[in-house]
Amino acid sequence: MAAGDPKWQKDASDQNFDYMFKLLIIGNSSVGKTSFLFRYADDSFTSAFVSTVGIDFKVKTVFRHDKRVKLQIWDTAGQERYRTITTAYYRGAMGFILMYDITNEESFNSVQDWVTQIKTYSWDNAQVILVGNKCDMEDERVISFERGKQLADQLGVEFFETSAKENVNVKNVFERLVDIICDKMSESLDSDPTLVAGGPKGQRLTDQPQGPPNANCNC
Amino acid sequence: MSLYKIRVAGLEDILQQDVIDLKSLRDFCFYGIPDCNGLRSLCWKLMLGYLGPKKDTWSATLAKKHELYKQFIEEMVIPPGDGEQDRSGCVDHPLSDGPESNWNTFFKDNEVLLQIDKDVRRLCPDISFFQQATDFPCESVVSHNRERKLHVRVAPTTLSSANVERKGLGVTKINLITKRANESYEAMDEGQEAHWEVVERILFLYAKLNPGQGYVQGMNEIIGPIYYVMASDPNLEYRKHAEADCFFCFTALMGEIRDFFIKTLDESEDGIKGMMAKLSNLLREKDLEVWTKLRDQELYPQYYSFRWLTLLLSQEFPLPDVLRIWDSVFADEKRYSFLVKVCCAMIVLLREQILENDFANNVKLLQNFPPMDIKVVLKKATSLE
Repeated sequence: MAAGDPKWQKDASDQNFDYMFKLLIIGNSSVGKTSFLFRYADDSFTSAFVSTVGIDFKVKTVFRHDKRVKLQIWDTAGQERYRTITTAYYRGAMGFILMYDITNEESFNSVQDWVTQIKTYSWDNAQVILVGNKCDMEDERVISFERGKQLADQLGVEFFETSAKENVNVKNVFERLVDIICDKMSESLDSDPTLVAGGPKGQRLTDQPQGPPNANCNC
Repeated sequence: MSLYKIRVAGLEDILQQDVIDLKSLRDFCFYGIPDCNGLRSLCWKLMLGYLGPKKDTWSATLAKKHELYKQFIEEMVIPPGDGEQDRSGCVDHPLSDGPESNWNTFFKDNEVLLQIDKDVRRLCPDISFFQQATDFPCESVVSHNRERKLHVRVAPTTLSSANVERKGLGVTKINLITKRANESYEAMDEGQEAHWEVVERILFLYAKLNPGQGYVQGMNEIIGPIYYVMASDPNLEYRKHAEADCFFCFTALMGEIRDFFIKTLDESEDGIKGMMAKLSNLLREKDLEVWTKLRDQELYPQYYSFRWLTLLLSQEFPLPDVLRIWDSVFADEKRYSFLVKVCCAMIVLLREQILENDFANNVKLLQNFPPMDIKVVLKKATSLE
């Protein structure tokens, strides 16, 4: 991909980011992962999504603390059959949105399993936010806010209740996750300055051994 | 005569023989089955092996299968305690957790059903067909109000305190248990069933009869086009039995592709990873430059072709195009080698964009295949022979 390539020029603004974070949305099937991602990336909602088979992908660039952060967000299939396919993407992910459905007990009971998946397959420093989705469906709620919060505390992660349908807290979850990753990054930089050997500006600090790293990096 | 009419006549000629020559049928259908006279519905039944080549066996085969399907429904869809077979002293009850208890099975089934229910309600959301009422609901189900409808078993139940009524001292009466249906896929009037409810029942029976595999998400996408073809057959005799026929055609098709849906077979040659490897090899052979670009971007085939192959491209194209692709795929004697070629053609046709794009844009491009004349795609695929 030479710099003189016309397409490259056109995309130049898009390439102009300070960091790139790879994020994954995981959780049982039908908790609303795809809707959540669509709400965030396209600001739209429809209850008529087909079920996700394999893995889907969206990109969004955000500004946090004067930094351009390009988010590469992977939406995964929730059903057991697809675990081996989807866990292959865990490596290199810096953040996870672990989602359950507040009207579905089983999806909440599976949270621990998902945490085990993350621990097994991802980078040690990957950050996690627990999200109870569908909080607009108060009539059918079976998991109280307190139970969600308690579990999050136990797991040592942050917690939000959200509604992709009513657009409640969707943006907050992503922004908070980005902030946590940034904090974690500067922590590790403080403790290990060699990480910035190449100079921080424009350098991706994703520390990913695998995944799709080089595509966006022309530096 | 127009070319179209010539094709219709040609196919009808093949179908008129007392013993149908399957080879000529496949050769013909490979180039697309004309969209009229229920030809597709009949040809798919033949190519999937549901009907044999000897025409005089058809009515006996169909009668036998329809009867068998009726039995499946009686044995597996009718809840325990509801059938006539259950009048023998009755030691079985919902709180019994013995392994012999029908109720135990009933509650286990409901977990499978819950997943199927969510998926059939989001089947082909771009067309209204599946939300419409079928002309041929299953009599033994709809004749019992709503209690035999599968989705009623798993509808979210809410018991709010307002519904608990106290009368005097001791008597507490719980008034109302409301079951709430998904708005857009509203339950039908008394005695009616929507097409998605029929599909739900077929998938449920398939899961019950194939316990080793059960229900896997994506099967709904495979059954959708088959059911659509059978249930819109202009021939009334066939359309009446769309449910049973679809069940057996789906079962036959799954017999060929079930490895795609079984995790432990991912690594086997016919498993999904084997298929993705075949696609990748074909691409390397036909367009080394594109293959190299994708490899250098570390854009693995799983990112896009997992779904393409597992679902036989049913999510990548609008329904009429899917039907056209499947004509060729079902006609392919080596079955899925043509499917791999279609996938390869799709990539090759995007070569200019792929060679220019960065990683993210290429993933997006391949995961959302742009609208394209299906004839161009199939022509390209054929040229990869």
